[in-house]
Amino acid sequence: MKNLFTVMKFTMREMVRKKSFIISTIIILALIVVGFSIPKIVSAIQEEKGNKKVLISDESNVFEGSLESLKTMDLPYDITISKTSYDDIKKKIENEEIKTAIIIEKENEQIKMRYVVENLRWENEVPQDLFGAINSIYSNLQITKLGITPEQLQAITPNFETSVEQTQEDEVEFQNVFVMMIVSFALSMAIILFTAQVSQSITTEKTSKIMETLVTSTSPRTIVLGKTIGIGLIGLFQVILFITTAIICANVFLDSEMINTLLDVSKITPGFIIITLVYFILGYFAYALLYALTGSLVTKPEDIQSANTPVSMIAMIGFYLGYFSISIDPTSSIASFAGIFPISSAFCMPSRIMMGLASAQDIIISIVLLIAMVALIAKVAISVYSNAILNYGSKMSLKEALKQYRERK
Amino acid sequence: MGLILKNVSKSFAGKKAVDNISFSLNEPGVYGLLGTNGAGKTTTIRMLLGILNKDAGEITWNGKTVDRKNVNFGYLPEERGVYQKTLIMDQLMYFAELKGMTKRDAEKSIKEWAKKLKVEEYLNKTAEKLSKGNQQKIQLMTALIHNPELVVLDEPFSGLDPVNTDLIKNIIIELVRNGKYVIMSAHQMATIEEFCSNILILDKGITVLQGNLKQIKDSYPANRAKVEVNQNIDNFIKECNLEIENEVDNNYILKLDNEEKAHNLLKILMQNNVVVNRFEIMKPTLNDIFVEKVGEE
Repeated sequence: MKNLFTVMKFTMREMVRKKSFIISTIIILALIVVGFSIPKIVSAIQEEKGNKKVLISDESNVFEGSLESLKTMDLPYDITISKTSYDDIKKKIENEEIKTAIIIEKENEQIKMRYVVENLRWENEVPQDLFGAINSIYSNLQITKLGITPEQLQAITPNFETSVEQTQEDEVEFQNVFVMMIVSFALSMAIILFTAQVSQSITTEKTSKIMETLVTSTSPRTIVLGKTIGIGLIGLFQVILFITTAIICANVFLDSEMINTLLDVSKITPGFIIITLVYFILGYFAYALLYALTGSLVTKPEDIQSANTPVSMIAMIGFYLGYFSISIDPTSSIASFAGIFPISSAFCMPSRIMMGLASAQDIIISIVLLIAMVALIAKVAISVYSNAILNYGSKMSLKEALKQYRERK
Repeated sequence: MGLILKNVSKSFAGKKAVDNISFSLNEPGVYGLLGTNGAGKTTTIRMLLGILNKDAGEITWNGKTVDRKNVNFGYLPEERGVYQKTLIMDQLMYFAELKGMTKRDAEKSIKEWAKKLKVEEYLNKTAEKLSKGNQQKIQLMTALIHNPELVVLDEPFSGLDPVNTDLIKNIIIELVRNGKYVIMSAHQMATIEEFCSNILILDKGITVLQGNLKQIKDSYPANRAKVEVNQNIDNFIKECNLEIENEVDNNYILKLDNEEKAHNLLKILMQNNVVVNRFEIMKPTLNDIFVEKVGEE
């Protein structure tokens, strides 16, 4: 037990000292902070810039001066009403006196509105709200000319109250789907990325020939488990760090209304957090031990990729099955299967629980199957590792290693 | 008591790597394990350290089965390796802790051994910055810092310069003086002759010769004569029916199939007033015995 702790401690220290680990952690933290602050930055830039300057030219006096009422409306524009020609408007835009202009003309009883802009970039999109307001002013002008009083106008304007009701309650807590998809994706990526580190670490020890000294200092079981737990703890710490940063950033940079729309905090109970951790730990162990097995077969660092391919394939199948089955239709039978199937359950079951789609029975079956798979993989992986780590000849194939395992049994 | 290997065998994929090997170390000293590449030395060492399961036989240390728990052993493997990007001090501490040492004892022992092996200045450097020889000394430190009773050194001198070879030789002498049991495998026969009182020669997993080195050598008849004179004596050598193996500046090494011929040569040299500075009838070296035992295919 003491040696297990020693191996864990050494593995963790080696990992956090790696430049690649430090740099990737800083980059991801920076991306989280920047990502959450983007809406605030955009609105701050807009506030600083002030309202967009729009010139409205009514040379033909179609609106008979009623366009002045636009200035009293709650519109995000700095509006100037004038009678300016197209050429002058063009000059004003070129001189950056105004951003855009609307020219109102009348040709053969047909009223035309020309939107003039330097280019149609996203900030210069056609201002539909302004066109709507101009249309409305024109309608009011014509209605007034017809002699209709405001009361008469209100009486003929439709004022329907609409509502939507559904006869069946939602099966899914859709409020949490978006957030859970992100959390589920983060946990899945953490499992896939950190488990591959186990393989890398074992291969490094084997190819640097330190392994023989190591196995005479402690048992192969202690080495495999110590490494797996050590790297897993660092992975868990990193995920918790990212999620905590994301929560802090969400609270600092996002409106509470937006947060409440995306996440029902009442669903994040201590029980839910524990069960999510259980799935993360079991999923991590299953794949980490498989990677430990393949890492021990390699004799040259360049062979690690090919040795890991079978495990990477299984992990990707598990991830796609789990993640996309709940993304497309969380209530489908394939999503239910993915929640119980041990290679995919760790990737999707926490989301299914959060969405209220998993029964207690589903959770128990899923965890029991996952534990059974981890126990089986641990038994085979430790045995193959013990046998393969001292092989410095050509790379041992997975088939060969499993054959030797069966023979030894 | 000590270390006993009795009828130990090991096969890989149906091929015998070690076949029914037996030997024992009953008192402190250096035991030489010899053999060509692939003879089964490393497999034997791995079995006696418990990192490889044997197929048959028995290995005991003071009456107990050999494994990590009941034998305090130190091992310098043939495959040299250190953590390249880890500080030397950190990796030595790691191995010391795995061997059950406290932090305080480990630090003290590391400093002592670093002084003996003249690597004190490298303790706070990463291994990648050290020469191969110094990395090898660091690896030897991992084998010795926990003061083991049984020390297994697999090719301890390979790749070392003469100065470091001498340094390691002195360490081995000190280990024996301190009552340690040492098993050493080496290709340098002169080194084995220097240290080992008992040897075992393996060929393709089979023991071809074992026992007390002196007794083994005594059991062989003399096979060479060394003659150092001040003049050319080729004619006298021919007259005595002897063959020259080597000659440099009138220092002759002669092949000998019969000691009488050598005595006869000395008599003739005296009769002819040749000044003889040195005359020695030589027993076969360990190298000769080794080549004789495993060199013929």
